[in-house]
Amino acid sequence: MESGKLGKREYMSIAILMIGAKATDSNPALLYSKVQNAAWMVPLLSAVIFFVGLFLLLKTMDLFQGKNLFSVIQQLLGRYIGFFLCLVIFLISSFGISFDSRTYTNIIRSFYFTTTPNLIIYAVLMVLGAYGAKKGIQNIGSVGYLVVFYVVLSLFFALIISTQDSTLQAIFPIWGPGKLEILKQSSLKITLYAEFFLLTMLIPNMTSIKEFRKSTWYAFAFVSFQISIAILIFICMFDTSLKGIGYPFHTSIGFLSLGLYLPNVEILFFVLWILAIFVRFAAFIYLNALMFGHLFKINDHKFLIPALTTIYLLIGSIPENAIEVSLVFKQAITNISGPTFFVISLLLWFVALVKGEFKHAKNRNGM
Amino acid sequence: MRKKISKLLVKSLNKESPEFKEQSNKEDIELKKHDISTQYEQNLETFKSIFSVPLNSDVKVREFTIRSLNRRAFIIFVGTMVDLEHIKESIMEKLLGNDQRSAKIQDIVSFPMEKTATNIGEITDLISGGVTALFVEGDSECYLFETTKLHGRSIEKSDNEVIVKGAKEAFNENLVENVALIRKKIKNENLIVESQNITKRSKNSVFLVYEKDLVNDELLQMIKDKLAALNTDKILDLSMLEQYLEERPRSLFPTILYTERPDRAASFIEEGHIVLLMSNSPSCLVLPTTFWAMMHSPEDHYLRTPYGNFIRLLRFFALFVAIFSSPFYIAITNYHVGMIPPDLLMAIAGSRERVPFPSIVEILMMETGFELIREAGLRVPSPIGPTIGIVGALILGQAAVQANIISPIVIIVIALSGLSSFIIIDGSMNFAIRLTRFLFVFSAGFFGIYGVMALFTIGLFYLVSLKSFGVPYFAPMTPHFTSSKDLLVRQIPLKEKFRPGYVKPKDMVKQRKG
Repeated sequence: MESGKLGKREYMSIAILMIGAKATDSNPALLYSKVQNAAWMVPLLSAVIFFVGLFLLLKTMDLFQGKNLFSVIQQLLGRYIGFFLCLVIFLISSFGISFDSRTYTNIIRSFYFTTTPNLIIYAVLMVLGAYGAKKGIQNIGSVGYLVVFYVVLSLFFALIISTQDSTLQAIFPIWGPGKLEILKQSSLKITLYAEFFLLTMLIPNMTSIKEFRKSTWYAFAFVSFQISIAILIFICMFDTSLKGIGYPFHTSIGFLSLGLYLPNVEILFFVLWILAIFVRFAAFIYLNALMFGHLFKINDHKFLIPALTTIYLLIGSIPENAIEVSLVFKQAITNISGPTFFVISLLLWFVALVKGEFKHAKNRNGM
Repeated sequence: MRKKISKLLVKSLNKESPEFKEQSNKEDIELKKHDISTQYEQNLETFKSIFSVPLNSDVKVREFTIRSLNRRAFIIFVGTMVDLEHIKESIMEKLLGNDQRSAKIQDIVSFPMEKTATNIGEITDLISGGVTALFVEGDSECYLFETTKLHGRSIEKSDNEVIVKGAKEAFNENLVENVALIRKKIKNENLIVESQNITKRSKNSVFLVYEKDLVNDELLQMIKDKLAALNTDKILDLSMLEQYLEERPRSLFPTILYTERPDRAASFIEEGHIVLLMSNSPSCLVLPTTFWAMMHSPEDHYLRTPYGNFIRLLRFFALFVAIFSSPFYIAITNYHVGMIPPDLLMAIAGSRERVPFPSIVEILMMETGFELIREAGLRVPSPIGPTIGIVGALILGQAAVQANIISPIVIIVIALSGLSSFIIIDGSMNFAIRLTRFLFVFSAGFFGIYGVMALFTIGLFYLVSLKSFGVPYFAPMTPHFTSSKDLLVRQIPLKEKFRPGYVKPKDMVKQRKG
């Protein structure tokens, strides 16, 4: 293993923690409110749709060995359009992280620390993310790898014991509001996997794009499976009341008990869940700093991290309450970011095709 | 820019180093650069003045005439550091008693180890180290005999790293014996014992022990360079050297393994690590070191695989208990009361009812008390040792509870965490755990489980970023390297095929077939 490179295990852990955490926030409830008891299909269908975009994007990136997403965009689309697109991606991801972090703060506050001021919980979360981000992506990956097994195990353990109180019949009618509606929502909710698009920024940190691609597919398959299973179990557990539950994972672990003697074990799950969230935001902040550094040609992007984190903290503090966050701000970002990233992936592939980059590459290989 | 400003700041804060009234020893230094002369009188004069004879009472100079050569000669040695019997038998008696005419000193003297030197400085250093120097009239060289004999304790049982099954002997202060202890475990001509002088004034030397056909040359060179770059007057002990060598001397966590067990040192050498030995130090340093090496015990391997893994898992469990039991108690009683089963909650609340302090104060009092007992138990002269146990258990435990200063459950928590902290055998790691426990207690008091986990995550980020001579702290788990997977649990010995990849040994596979 080369020093200073991100190993495939570490990369996969980051991906799984970053995207897998979505099964535990407000996403299941949001999905349920749209497609009712067919919500568990959406992650799978979105995965299939997003797979196309990601596949084409990675195919395009393959032509530029060892370049990151922004270099590829700027090389393919020229300086001005490229810069503009990169800026759009950065802004979307910035708003994404701001409202996402706020969502998690809301979760922590409403379930575990009801009397603590929001800002303090939020500040601790962001300071930790900034500290982790400052340590660099290798270290984030290492921490991710150290915790990922326990996090995933605890999630599945929680899900398995949730099945005690659930009824499988709740998944009927199986098509929910109708096939067309599911398909429509699936294409909108590809935001679930938007982070995979951003993670292509890390290609230069890996030993080869081949390794990156392989790990991405593994993580992608695992995560879509994980989110789908989680939603399925939440549906079986809460049935129609899932619509009114903001954060079903936390409601369910609060509901769980290990035998008669230990009635409230949510803290055990919370401990591992919060570890995952810290790693997730460290990676997220690192990615954003990387993007910002690349956009404005700042080599030492690590110095940007404290400033960026503060800005995200401030943006995230704008919404007055939790409802506003999840229904207004996050909803907007969710509906924009996934489709935008998807279109950009297609656009890049298309431009590369028109410019004949694939042919060039073939010729180069042929020679 | 930032660096510039901080430099300016530092400069303005630190005044120029004060001037001292010093006495110049330029002449002495100049003298040591010269060679010895062929003049007998002059040599005698030079060395008498260098060693301040007769002021220096244990430096002995003996003048005599070598009969067979019919030339005057003198020997000089430090009386307290040499084997006098040996000098008498194989040097003096031969020189004085030999009648046959012979031209060469080598043919007269029967002492086995002999070499010659001409430089005054070099000869001076050797004499200070216990070598006997022989100057013969008319010769331009001086004959040196390694007559060093130091007194110290014999090889004893390992005191600080106790194991039940396996070799018991430990390093002692005698360097020669320490090297022999390693050599007798690795009977291989590739085992190199290389000495390097590291200090200017006391001339302390360090011995690097490694296997030539295993060790990574870059790593070896890096360590040698680092040793050569030490610019100090004296480093008397290996534990001092450890602090000079570490990348982050202020860090809570150690990055060099300090062990007193030769079997441990040998097994690390066999895996391509480098071991440092120093005279007067009953231990060795193993470089580079990972978190895993700190947590493992040699006994994990001496015991059969299931038993070894059992005690290893027990140790990792103890690590968590030692760190987290007090903070969890604080977090749960203050923030997450709902988690405790109602009956137990009643019991805890009942026992805390008459205690006037908040639980964090209780915990801090008991933790401090426990640390005091521990330190006192270590320092107390052995005849009064047993009293400490009685005082600790009786006064701090029972009496404190009866006086309603602390609740009994706190005693259980503290005893549990204290007991667990003893299971971590590495001395430095032990300190690291004890100190981080206090940080966790504060974070739990401040923010419950959330604070504890936040600090834990910071700790993880910090630990994975630590490096010991370029090797990440959690290697080979993350970042991944090929290894025998001797981490949380170990394999059966047959399956441990690889040397750890992070030291980049020249030979990765053990017992290669064919």
